[in-house]
Amino acid sequence: MKALLKQKEFSVLAIVIIICVILSFVSPVFLTVGNWMDILEGNTVIGILAIGMTLIIITSDIDVSVAALTTAVAVSIGFMFQYLPDSWFSVVLIFLIAPLIGMLLGAFNGILVSKIQIPAIVVTLGTLNIFSGLVLYFTNGNYINSTQFPQSFMAFSNIEILGIPILIYLFALVAVSTWFILKYTLIGRSVLAIGGNAQSSTRVGINFKKVKMFVFTYMGFLGGVAAIAQTSYTTAVDPNGLMGLELTVIAAVVLGGANIHGGRGSIPGTLLGVLLLAIMQNGMILARIDTFWQNVVTGAIIVIAVSYDEINHRRNQAKLANIDVKEAS
Amino acid sequence: MTNIKLSKESVLGLIALAIFVGLSLFTPGFLSSGNINSMMFQLPEFGLIALGMMVVIITGGIDLSITYIAAFSGVGAALMMTNGFGIFPAIIVGIIFALACGAFNGVVVSKIGVPPILVTLGTMVLFEGVILAITNGNAISGFPDAYSLIGNGYYLGIVPFSLVIFFVFTIITGLLLNKSTWGRRVYMYGSNDLATLFSGVKNSKVLMKVYLYASLLAAVSAIIMTSRYNSVKVDLGSSYLLQSVAAAVLGGTNIHGGYGKVMGTIYAVLIFQFIRNGLNLMGVHSSLVDVVIGAILIAVLTLNFFSDKLSRQKAKAAS
Repeated sequence: MKALLKQKEFSVLAIVIIICVILSFVSPVFLTVGNWMDILEGNTVIGILAIGMTLIIITSDIDVSVAALTTAVAVSIGFMFQYLPDSWFSVVLIFLIAPLIGMLLGAFNGILVSKIQIPAIVVTLGTLNIFSGLVLYFTNGNYINSTQFPQSFMAFSNIEILGIPILIYLFALVAVSTWFILKYTLIGRSVLAIGGNAQSSTRVGINFKKVKMFVFTYMGFLGGVAAIAQTSYTTAVDPNGLMGLELTVIAAVVLGGANIHGGRGSIPGTLLGVLLLAIMQNGMILARIDTFWQNVVTGAIIVIAVSYDEINHRRNQAKLANIDVKEAS
Repeated sequence: MTNIKLSKESVLGLIALAIFVGLSLFTPGFLSSGNINSMMFQLPEFGLIALGMMVVIITGGIDLSITYIAAFSGVGAALMMTNGFGIFPAIIVGIIFALACGAFNGVVVSKIGVPPILVTLGTMVLFEGVILAITNGNAISGFPDAYSLIGNGYYLGIVPFSLVIFFVFTIITGLLLNKSTWGRRVYMYGSNDLATLFSGVKNSKVLMKVYLYASLLAAVSAIIMTSRYNSVKVDLGSSYLLQSVAAAVLGGTNIHGGYGKVMGTIYAVLIFQFIRNGLNLMGVHSSLVDVVIGAILIAVLTLNFFSDKLSRQKAKAAS
């Protein structure tokens, strides 16, 4: 099983490398360090959200409210900035408050999914409407400008360590710690177990509701972190800026090999999925392909990837079934 | 306690009626002929998409690409008309465009067996891209006058023509689901696909027809929309996407498949329409209307959960 997983991520990696080789011939700019920094920094928000979404998809659920949730937190940050003093204390405070707000919103999803047992897609569809409606009501759809931000936050967003923007460090921190949680902690293993087989895992004594609650709250937490990243990347809060991003996030996770049936999916895979979407977008811009065609290519790749995955999965299942029969006879 | 047991759908119908009566009592202008008229014109396009979504959800799937199928078919029809073809060929081409999209979804879902949510997520982006590439993101407008009659005209001078079309398709959907072999198999597949397969049903054929039928309803909705707005753009009806899922679920359709009634969805569509319209008349901010609709969706399902729990406890106590 482990070998299989590895193989799967390897195939995504191979596609990424092939595209990279092609793009480096198409455009000399592609393989420059500056371009890669732009790609990584520009996809930090999608990446952080995709990492949270991976956990949810592993437990065979889905969350379509992520973009609205992130925007809701970003708008709250924007409102708070108007009252915060210009000091480093404000930045620290934001890093405490934003994930907390995100966690509260995520926990709301989590309670409805785990305690009330409403299917996740319906719950998050409802909260998507609620969050984005409230955001638009309070902001009237207007930008919150960087002029109202404390100088310290602006300084924070411009930090570069060893020539690498701070957001990339944030992204890496989120990725590594989530990978660690998934791999080495009890709750992380429970997430994988529930995705693998919900019934047997509850029989072994894993608390199903608690795990569901955890994945949605964690998603909210990462939504809060993503809100900070988004605010510092764009140095403004745009109530409509992330609209529809949830589908890109889901697409990235799925490209990375997570399966909506649950049980399969990993952080490295998701990172590759995010990277694949990102370099395609970047490459098509560099190759001066009309932006209208980008959706066609992205959509086609999603359909091909999920079909390929399904065919592969079936072939493997068929193999497994054969072995069973042989052993039995 | 009364002994009369109302079905889920009838309860929903009563709620719709109560909302209607409440709004007409407390909202001035709700019962005015102008307002009733505008509601009758808005209802069909949303209702058709919700019906299509419901049929897909009954099989345990979901069609995220349905509004882009509608937009694509609208673009097809519009291109025919702006290039000098008649209304009739344009409508045919529009429907063919939609059926082609539906067939693509159907093949990937039924033959390859990819989960519908993933397929339609991909095709949603794909169709959007194709429409953008064709239209360059611009709106196409300028249709013959006769075409606008479909969305704006009246039948016998009172009933909007589009409402008649909607009514006809509601009956067709109800008949197909309840009386035809295909319809029964749709429910069977939704409740247990493996058992259905083993009882000799060609699942892939059933599924294929489900996606074709949903795209047909999307095409009809697109024709009504384009004729009403007299233009078509990539985001034609895209706001109906999540709303149609919400309407189907509120109407009692089981998101895991196997259950769903045409009347339930119709009542849910009516409830959404009344609330949207009533809140607008009351001067409530339009984005708060979304909040209310989301809250209703969650509240209804939460109530469902607790009433189920209560009845289960009662059954336990009785036994």
